[in-house]
Amino acid sequence: MAHVVTPLDQPSNYKDSQARVDRQKQNELLARSTTLYIGNLSFYTTEEQIYELFSKCTSPEEGGGIKRIIMGLDRNTRTPCGFCFVEYYTHAEALACLRYVSGTKLDERIIRCDLDLGYREGRQFGRGKSGGQVRDEHRQDYDPGRGGWGAQAQRLEIERRREVEERYADAQEGPGAVAGGGGDWKDAGTADNPLKRARSPEDEGDGGRAGARARMDDPDHDARM
Amino acid sequence: MSYHGGGHRRRNYRGQDEYDDRRREVYETPEQKLRKSIINLGEVDPVQELPRLAQQIRTQEPLSVPAISEGFRIGVTEQPYKIPYYAALLRLLHDPSPDAPESNDADNTPSLGKQVLEDYWKGFQAFLDKLAWREIRLCIHFFAHLTVAKLITPQSLFELLKSFTAVLEEFGASHGRAMKAALCAAEGLMMAGPVIKPAPGTDVSEIINSISMYTESVSSSKTLVQPIVSLFSDKSIIEHADELLDSALAALRALNDGDFVQTADSFPQPYFDYPEYAETPFDLPSVLVPPEVIELDGLTTDTGEDAQVKKEEWPQYYTRIFDNDVTPDPASPVGYAIRSGILDIIDIFEVNRKECARLLLEYPKWLLAGTFKPRPGAPPQEPVPGKDWQLESTIMEATLGSIFLLPESNYKSIYYITLITELCKLSPSSVGPAVGKSIRKLYSLLADGLDVEVAHRVADWFSVHMSNFNFQWVWKEWIPDLSLSVKHPRRAFMRRAVEFEIRLSYYDRILKTLPEPMQAPDALVMPEEAPGPDFEYDDPAKPHYESARSVLDLLRGRAKADEVVAHLDTLRNTISETADGDTNVDSVIRSIAVQSLLHIGSRSFSHFLNAIERYLPVLRKIASGGTAGGVNVDARMDVLNAVFAFWKRSRHMVVIVFDKLMQYQIADPTDVVAWTFAFGGGADGSAGKSTFHAFQWDVLKGALDKANGRVMIARRKVTALRKEADDNAARAKASDTATMEVDSEAKTADVIPSAESPAVTTALKAFTTLTREQKAALARAMDGFVDCLVAEARPNPLAREVITEKAWHNRANWGEAEWETWETWGWYRHFGRMYSPYLRNYVNTIAEVSLSKVAPSPDPAVDLFKKTWNIATGQE
Repeated sequence: MAHVVTPLDQPSNYKDSQARVDRQKQNELLARSTTLYIGNLSFYTTEEQIYELFSKCTSPEEGGGIKRIIMGLDRNTRTPCGFCFVEYYTHAEALACLRYVSGTKLDERIIRCDLDLGYREGRQFGRGKSGGQVRDEHRQDYDPGRGGWGAQAQRLEIERRREVEERYADAQEGPGAVAGGGGDWKDAGTADNPLKRARSPEDEGDGGRAGARARMDDPDHDARM
Repeated sequence: MSYHGGGHRRRNYRGQDEYDDRRREVYETPEQKLRKSIINLGEVDPVQELPRLAQQIRTQEPLSVPAISEGFRIGVTEQPYKIPYYAALLRLLHDPSPDAPESNDADNTPSLGKQVLEDYWKGFQAFLDKLAWREIRLCIHFFAHLTVAKLITPQSLFELLKSFTAVLEEFGASHGRAMKAALCAAEGLMMAGPVIKPAPGTDVSEIINSISMYTESVSSSKTLVQPIVSLFSDKSIIEHADELLDSALAALRALNDGDFVQTADSFPQPYFDYPEYAETPFDLPSVLVPPEVIELDGLTTDTGEDAQVKKEEWPQYYTRIFDNDVTPDPASPVGYAIRSGILDIIDIFEVNRKECARLLLEYPKWLLAGTFKPRPGAPPQEPVPGKDWQLESTIMEATLGSIFLLPESNYKSIYYITLITELCKLSPSSVGPAVGKSIRKLYSLLADGLDVEVAHRVADWFSVHMSNFNFQWVWKEWIPDLSLSVKHPRRAFMRRAVEFEIRLSYYDRILKTLPEPMQAPDALVMPEEAPGPDFEYDDPAKPHYESARSVLDLLRGRAKADEVVAHLDTLRNTISETADGDTNVDSVIRSIAVQSLLHIGSRSFSHFLNAIERYLPVLRKIASGGTAGGVNVDARMDVLNAVFAFWKRSRHMVVIVFDKLMQYQIADPTDVVAWTFAFGGGADGSAGKSTFHAFQWDVLKGALDKANGRVMIARRKVTALRKEADDNAARAKASDTATMEVDSEAKTADVIPSAESPAVTTALKAFTTLTREQKAALARAMDGFVDCLVAEARPNPLAREVITEKAWHNRANWGEAEWETWETWGWYRHFGRMYSPYLRNYVNTIAEVSLSKVAPSPDPAVDLFKKTWNIATGQE
């Protein structure tokens, strides 16, 4: 069913410019990716708002759901800097977002979704010179949702800003800084170690190869905006 | 892709790799070009383009019939609105080639058109073999038009249609199969009736009667999926909604009564522009609709039930929003044709909602002139009497009707919701008013029995839509309804819509959109405060403040899990020494621990995940009631109650936290089901209510979907492992026979034991455990509804009262209790139809356990309860 129009869940030209795996490998990863990169968020949008919108694409009866959300943070200030990753349990849910949610509004901004290679440690931080996203380094326009504050800014937004600034002050770096979200169901009787973190099969697959595989950093969502 | 910004060709920073190889233009062969020309027919004006396109096809070098019929096949099945024009194109191709009029072998070689038709038939046969129903039905449209154009014999089309009505007489045909087959026959007859009816050897009433007998046979299941509920009636024709097959039948009867004169008024017939075809028409070969193939994996539960989920399709009721002079009556021939045309576009273009919106707004181009009012700015036209409908309202009605199909829509409702968003973006001035009118009409239906699940979906659509359009809604027109009972569906809707809007935005933003009378706390539209956590132990004046602080200090200091567990043990001793006799010390400890964990994780969803992931052992210990590996239901309820107490100002968070507690196996779905019936009803988690409302449904659905989803994963795992084992065995066998004398070392790894591998055994064991849990969760839910409505031990006189016709007509005087009970019936019905495929598998066990507690009949409530159960489980 793609003779007449181009499906919206086709891979876009989004990519992680710092990914060190070849294009073919990247395409393979994307073809079964369960992670979305979400861009053009307001700095003030919360994970719960994101959860609400993105849960509309879940298929829990198929074993799906939102596994976790990773908020993109300014490297220096530890405040949200306008992007995030949403990880589902299934690939189909991620595709549904590309078809139904990408290009609609969240918190009154048009957001964009792209399939992502998957979260890797460190990718939650912006990579612009001053800590945020690169696109906000060079941006010329006034954008109240993305830190473009002036005297005329609304008081409401300031209040939200205060909350937001405190929220992630405790953000950590390094392994274990980001929760897993819970893995597949396991028989409690045969679970060898109850302390072990729940992991999904994909995580298990990664474990052995993580070193060999390239480091994949923050995506280069900026070059084109 | 417009949101990517204009001209976003990437600057090339890092070399060649930047260019995306997935998007590179590919060289097109002449055949591909021709195919594209056929698909693109009518970009400007189909009637004018037809002769030119026919000529282009004829002069194609080399001439490839399969390539041409492939173009037709794609055109017909992916752009059904062009089918009459494809029929006209094929009619032109049946003429002898104008370039070779004197050709000497013209009599021997069939015309190009006929060759294409023969090849096209092969493609139809392939669709039939796969039971690709939509494609089959659209091909039949094509054949029907070709029959009217005299390219196909009416008798052979009649026989084709009859092979589809034969499906209706099959023993045990599923409703989905029967409905799709009936639609094939009905729609084919609507289009080809003018030539079939007068043809010798045909009898259109055979087809009509066959469909009629079928729809009557499924009338009982219709009552369970009507979007407008009347609990006292079992009529299948209702106001404000129409059933798809019933409408097809009504349209067909109207056509037949008028000897199909109305066909020309309902479907374009551009082939009549050309001289009548005088050669021998094509005889469609006879076919048999192949049986449905059900792949059985033979997996059963530990008690031998078949755990395979067979999603059964239900009769499809489309909610009617506008009057017949605004949108066409779907039970009239032209109204049916228009709506099914719109539904096909919505269905086919699900892959690209933006293109779908564009095509919907261009739909009138493919219809008879005067069907819809001209667009603003277009040249005025003479209105056609009885037509002249509003395009945007018609599209809205069909789209919303698709969202509100019960038990569930074909695609996720967010698809239809954002499709409407795109329609509004394309033509705000014309679609916007249609949206507004739709909301008002649905809101008014809330007082007249709009189904609870449909009301839920209206609130969902409303909130997402408003979130895309600056939350601008004229709330003030609903102010008078603030005088209705606080549990009246309209007031429940206002609260729900506002709650969903706040989830997508934030409290103060939404508060600003409301008129003053609705902002007031006593209006009970807005929650009193913004959603947020409520830590019970945050005030030194409150009991257990010091204890909770000591736990918080440990958690904040990232103490090890076993330190926390040890500290909780100490606390238990301290508290039991000082507390009075009725304090349940275990419950207090659980509440302190769970609330403290939620407190350190209250800043965001991720904080919450981090907190519970770090202290999973603590949670496991608490939830097991202190005994390792044991199951203590009270402990689980305490955990869930602590969550509810902590997040009582954010029901969204309650659902999210419960989901993750199930994900991390702190609580089982059955626990959550039990909780929602026992404690979910009260505002403060107090037990003992016999009503069930929308929030409880959200919790219940979360739990049941989790249980069902796990079985699904386990099933996929077993299937995958078995397939892998089979593949390995086949490979081993192949390499065995191929290389007899190769070293045995390489082979040993591939040798497959005759019994199933340990991995399969483990997966099977998990499957058994999970189906047991699934059955328990479903049974617990059924039990809960029995308790609410018809338990002998818990008489509920209101349950009997609200289902009578008399009471319903008196609903203007209903108080909170009546509306709550009516809503409870609504969720029970939705539970039955929604989980019907799962309930069917366990029908005996569940009936045995739950229905035995039901009060004795005669009791109208008991009768309705059992009838609903029987319909849901396919026993009626």
